[in-house]
Amino acid sequence: MNANECTSETLGDYVLVRLRGEVDLSWSQQVRRAILDALGDTGKVGVELSEVSYIDSSGIAALVEGFQSARSHNQKFGLVAVSAAVMAVLQLARLDRVFPIFADLDAARAA
Amino acid sequence: MNATRPAAVGPRDSARAGGRRALGFLADLSQSLAVSLDLRETLGPALARIMDFMHAEGASLFLLDAATKLLECKICAGPVDIVGLKLEVGQGVVGRAVAENAPQRSDDARRDARVNARVDAETGFVTRTLLCVPLATAQGPIGALEIINRRDGGAFDDDDAEILRLIAAPMALAINNARLALEVAEQQRIRREMALARSIQKSLLPRRRRGRFPLIGVNLPAHEISGDFYDYFDLADGRLAFFIGDISGKGLDAAFLMVRVASLLRWSGRAAPAPAAWLREANVELCETLQNGRFVCAVVGIYDHRTRTAVIANAGFPPALLDHGTRFEEMPADGPPLGIIKEAEYGERTIDLGAAALYLFSDGATDVREGVRARLGAEGLRELIRRYARLAPEPRLRALIGELKRRRLVDDTTLLLLQEPRGSEVRELLALRFPADPREMRRVRAELRTALDGEDVAPELRDRLVLVVDEACTNIMRHAYCGGESGTIALRMTRERDMLGFELRDEAPCVDASRIKPRDLSECRAGGLGVAFIDATMDAWHIEGVPGGRGNRLLMRKYIPAKTESEP
Repeated sequence: MNANECTSETLGDYVLVRLRGEVDLSWSQQVRRAILDALGDTGKVGVELSEVSYIDSSGIAALVEGFQSARSHNQKFGLVAVSAAVMAVLQLARLDRVFPIFADLDAARAA
Repeated sequence: MNATRPAAVGPRDSARAGGRRALGFLADLSQSLAVSLDLRETLGPALARIMDFMHAEGASLFLLDAATKLLECKICAGPVDIVGLKLEVGQGVVGRAVAENAPQRSDDARRDARVNARVDAETGFVTRTLLCVPLATAQGPIGALEIINRRDGGAFDDDDAEILRLIAAPMALAINNARLALEVAEQQRIRREMALARSIQKSLLPRRRRGRFPLIGVNLPAHEISGDFYDYFDLADGRLAFFIGDISGKGLDAAFLMVRVASLLRWSGRAAPAPAAWLREANVELCETLQNGRFVCAVVGIYDHRTRTAVIANAGFPPALLDHGTRFEEMPADGPPLGIIKEAEYGERTIDLGAAALYLFSDGATDVREGVRARLGAEGLRELIRRYARLAPEPRLRALIGELKRRRLVDDTTLLLLQEPRGSEVRELLALRFPADPREMRRVRAELRTALDGEDVAPELRDRLVLVVDEACTNIMRHAYCGGESGTIALRMTRERDMLGFELRDEAPCVDASRIKPRDLSECRAGGLGVAFIDATMDAWHIEGVPGGRGNRLLMRKYIPAKTESEP
């Protein structure tokens, strides 16, 4: 079982927010803050989700908020290496075609 | 004859006095006719009074028989009794009055070709003058009123014709009213008798058995009474005998025959013959006794619940339908209907029922009309069965009947369902009570996963169910326990056959259930996803407040197919 973790890594002009564990209501506010902070720092943000084994609607809401904020400020926002568990929920929420989704960090940075 | 009496309306009367007398007479006549609806009581005296008032030697009343279209003399006054005399419309003075719906006068009957001379010839009475008016109603004439021979020897004149026409009006009205009253009474009587017949018929159908009994039947008559039947009874060896049938034709005679055929089949089935022999015996008996081209379509069968096998034989009945869950198997008739060919032989087939459902239905079930469009048909019925396949047999049959009733029944409809009741016990898979705190959810999800894995639920579906229960719990935390209230949530997961149940209870103030609706997922926005997830995943869910204003209960159900396939 992964411990919940949220880290931000700056790679030049790109900030990668890396999430691990089960994103749920108990700490999704922290995720939301991290994403919005990253968007405050730079114009290109990705959220890495390969180690996320669970995400609930409050976690999805944090991603949606980041996406909408980026769009209104002409910033770039994408999801990187989305795990199957997250993808299933994105599909259920019909958001799988709303977010830019990248297989890996290189693809995300090149976009 | 009685020529000394002053004429009722004669040249000696002033027109005014004559009119007043006529009006007075009309009023009295109307009143006397209104006394009773029994025409036999009122019409006879009325006709005698009319004869006297008109100063005629005789009078008669003819009524039109709606069925035969013949005019028949119903009442007479005066010396000649022609009650029962029948005339065709258009025949004679009376017939013409009705045909033309206009008064007819004959001033010299002996030389009038219209006048039927036969009556005089037979009675010796001499008809000199005639006046006849139709009994007019809004629906046309219903008969005629005729007076014969003015007592003063003169001919009837235009005034007489006009007065008689006025007099005929209340008579026609009285007759019409009485007939309508009779019709209503007759209809009520028939309705009462039909209801009685229906209740007797219903009492002949077997009582529904409680508990784990594999057979349920239902009979829906298209009208009050039915030509369909079904029955089942225990055999001495513990097996169960059953039959279902449909008498050709509709109506009372089919209903009577149904009673006879059902008791014949019950009687001959007592000895537990093989179904083919059972049909053969009933067929021979019915070939000897059925008349008028009547025949009977039926299925007979014997079910052994220890081996879960049924043997059935089908005589011209619609194909038996075996629902295996994934496919239907259709079993057509094994021989002709009963009562047609005395030498007929019937095949029989053994059905390994297992967990499958055997449907036997009379053709009324597929003849059901979809609005004004086509019949429901066998395909439509299968679709309906498929739609409700998840329900237990009894609610499923109720649902099917509901669907058929929502359409238009044109024929008696009978359904018999043979299915072994499945294990209906409710197993508790998980029971948790935890503080309404999001930090609890990780543990709750882990417990849910484990419990669902224990039920062999496919991983994709398992994860979806975990998500949805999580969403339901966090919704309670955020919305029910709002404003920092603390409390607990009780989660209970159960399984009943293929149905998973999730029950969540809290102690928060009752929420307004009508305001909890799934949002449209096609719009991209952050909030309200939880309910949408629940709605998209569960087969059924609802929320209710606990009486007393505190506490809510959310119930969600998910059907999981017996063999877990990758779903959703």
